[in-house]
Amino acid sequence: MASRIAERFEHYRSRNEDAALVLLAVTALSLVAAFVLFYQQSRWTVVPVASFLLLTVVGWVRYQATIARGLTFVMTVATVAVLGLIVAFLVVRAWPAFDQMGLEALYRTEEPLWKPAKTTPWSLAPMIVGTMVTTAIATAVAAPVGIAGALYISEIASDTTREVVKPGIELMAGIPSITYGFIGFVIVNRFFYEEFQTSTIGNYFTVGAMIGIMALPTIVSVAEDALSTVPEAMKSGALAVGTTNWQTMKSVTLPSAFSGVSAAVLLGVGRAMGETMAATVMIPHTKGFADPVYDVFGGVGETLTTVIAFEGGNATGRHIEGLFAAGVVLFLMVLVLSVTAQVIQARMRSKYGGDR
Amino acid sequence: MSTVTRNALVSTETTLREYVSTGVMALGAVLFLASWAVLFQWVGESTPVLGVAVFTLFGVLLLAMAVGIAGVGVAARLGRVSASPSASAGLVVGVLFGGIGFVTGGLVASQTLGMGAVGWLAVALAVGVAVAALAVVPREDVGSTFPPALFLAFVGALLVTGTLGLGWSWSPDGVSATFVGSVMVPVLTVAGSLVGSWSAAKARAGFGTQGREGGAFYLIRLSVFGMLGVLALLVGFIVKNGLETALTRAQFGLGGHVGLPGSILGVTLPNWSVPFVDVQVPFVTNVSQSLFVEVPGLAPAILGTLWLVVGAMLFAIPLGLAAAIFLAEYTESRLFRQLVEIATNGLWSTPSIVFGLFGLAFLVPRFGGGKSLLSGQLVLGFMLLPLVVITSYESIKAVPDEYRDASAALGVTQWQTIKSAVLPAAMPGVITGVILGVGRIAGETAPLLLVYGGPPFSSQNPSVLSSFQFTSAPPFVSNTALMDAGSALPYQLYTSITSGRLPGQGAPFSVQEFGWGTALVLLVVVLGLYAFGIAGRIYFRRKLYNE
Repeated sequence: MASRIAERFEHYRSRNEDAALVLLAVTALSLVAAFVLFYQQSRWTVVPVASFLLLTVVGWVRYQATIARGLTFVMTVATVAVLGLIVAFLVVRAWPAFDQMGLEALYRTEEPLWKPAKTTPWSLAPMIVGTMVTTAIATAVAAPVGIAGALYISEIASDTTREVVKPGIELMAGIPSITYGFIGFVIVNRFFYEEFQTSTIGNYFTVGAMIGIMALPTIVSVAEDALSTVPEAMKSGALAVGTTNWQTMKSVTLPSAFSGVSAAVLLGVGRAMGETMAATVMIPHTKGFADPVYDVFGGVGETLTTVIAFEGGNATGRHIEGLFAAGVVLFLMVLVLSVTAQVIQARMRSKYGGDR
Repeated sequence: MSTVTRNALVSTETTLREYVSTGVMALGAVLFLASWAVLFQWVGESTPVLGVAVFTLFGVLLLAMAVGIAGVGVAARLGRVSASPSASAGLVVGVLFGGIGFVTGGLVASQTLGMGAVGWLAVALAVGVAVAALAVVPREDVGSTFPPALFLAFVGALLVTGTLGLGWSWSPDGVSATFVGSVMVPVLTVAGSLVGSWSAAKARAGFGTQGREGGAFYLIRLSVFGMLGVLALLVGFIVKNGLETALTRAQFGLGGHVGLPGSILGVTLPNWSVPFVDVQVPFVTNVSQSLFVEVPGLAPAILGTLWLVVGAMLFAIPLGLAAAIFLAEYTESRLFRQLVEIATNGLWSTPSIVFGLFGLAFLVPRFGGGKSLLSGQLVLGFMLLPLVVITSYESIKAVPDEYRDASAALGVTQWQTIKSAVLPAAMPGVITGVILGVGRIAGETAPLLLVYGGPPFSSQNPSVLSSFQFTSAPPFVSNTALMDAGSALPYQLYTSITSGRLPGQGAPFSVQEFGWGTALVLLVVVLGLYAFGIAGRIYFRRKLYNE
């Protein structure tokens, strides 16, 4: 391994001027220095930043090709490093909270549940249950309709209608989540409060339905991608033996794209799980467990995202560490979903030979 | 999907079966829309239509649908109308209608007749099995018309007789909600119209495989229609409710001056005079709270969003574009590329509130411990980064290899090829991707709550450009505007939900109307960006394939 790296370095060096390489190294080092100083909260951070900018300009003028290649590499590493930083900072800040409660924070159901303090026990379980309940409702709303929409766009619609429907669904993804929340808060919540005489303004059902609508565009566009990976030859083959379009979809297209469509649903579930603002303004923010658990109209309501958004602005001490712990749990749940979806998608792409 | 035109093997003239089932579908559509209108309270529940109460009319129409469907089924079974039914409607249909029968039977037995657990379970099972058998055992023309007709007739009868009406209410044990007639009648009517129209759509296509396709396509089309309907409702509500607020004391005329915020981008402006134009929209140009402002406006929020977006773009575009170039053009290591792809996809799917937490842990303590514009810009930049990498990478990949080969054949270096051949060809895709990404982060609220959100109603515009100060001691340069908390359009919408009332006296609208106006302006900004991006994508794609 080491000898291979040395060999590649020699190869790289032979194609570039030594001065350019030194300049590149100093540029990269000043970026590292800038990060280290920034991390240390130093007042001198501005110096390496300025030196980085200056060296970049100098290098760009003198050795453009080498600097361009080197800098793009540094930027790629920086992009990956951002994810690493997020994980590191979340875990470090959440550590004292987990240190106090251990994994009991995830399943403890006895009072007191909230809020985290150094002397009393606390629990994330109500929020985890809340997240699961709202996500389940959202999936029930979004999965069937989303798959139907994907089938329509990829298999049924004429070119003209597709040009209308597809941008329309993308616009739906573009509407900010706080706007959905505002409408949910002003119209949907009030409607349920008045017409269904629910005990609080806002409940799991309205929140779940709203974030289901918000997860729809994700499911539609990813599932549509998956459906269009199914080779045309397979569909034509089915049609050639005399099936109807629907039989082809049901027996050939959907089963072949099944893994991709399930990846789409997983990604949609991830979106619904991480959805924050609409849920924050619609949910009643009371922690507890619905009794019985299917009472989605009840007075309790809090999810992992909403508790962070609602209380994070002015929490301190163990309270904020508990919120970071909630962030870690949420991040892990969404990450598992998205990685699974990616693995499924990659397998499907390699199965049908990637023309995409 | 098929490019083969279908030749009708059967006669092409419209048959009686088609007339009746089309009629039933039309009835279903009317009922569907009318029920939603009642749910949204656009039509009062007790408004008489044609001399009958709305709900009674619903019942009559449902009964008519039931008669129509059952009639077509019977006629097809007796061979009076042409059809090509299969031997059975199929197990899926049986299970679905069995389920409806089970629930209906169970609810009637337990709630209306007050039977115990054993009793209602027995009744529910009996009804469910009977309906399922009715769907599965007879030929398809009966099996897929009679169960829906039964359901419609049941609901219709409840409505016509007034058993289920305005006065009806039901609060089941264990669920803290009361289901009242004024809601449940339209909901049941929607369900009935769906079931009935599905059955009619099957009948219209003559049952059999064509019939299944007709029924399935009907449901799929309806889902898409529903989605677009939701979109139209959202936009419609916001425009209808927000327009009046947004145009409070607005003037459009000739002659006079253009009302602009006193300082825009930190540069103090004179009272602009543009001949022949007089446009004043105080809701857009005023600050949100001040002694001298009669109409609270959105200028601080709009400028805040502008600065957030500009900062995020300055941070994310160079970084993301460079990473995309390296991935697409330089690296040959599959492993490295996969690693970066996993990282960017991970970043993309990370919930926005987690980015906020990260900003709170990493940036806020390093920018003086308080919320600041700079932290907001960087956090939104982190969120924009994966979008820039993914879209740029895709569009660089999409540049045909001929471009690279042709350039390399001229004997230029790899970097010159990238700079002069690949990047210009990929640029439209990159720009559209960035616009879509910006549209996404411009509406982002959750991270701003943690790292940027200042007072609920800001009294001053952020003036970033004029706040730079240079000092002789480190850090040599400072900018108070970048270090201040402030407002942004989505944050303003959030505060208008959480604040009970507008500050100050005598605003011409309530805080909720202020919210509607904010939602409208936010929607215009974000959807404007999206429309721009999507139109650009369609334009460039056409250009690429027509060339």
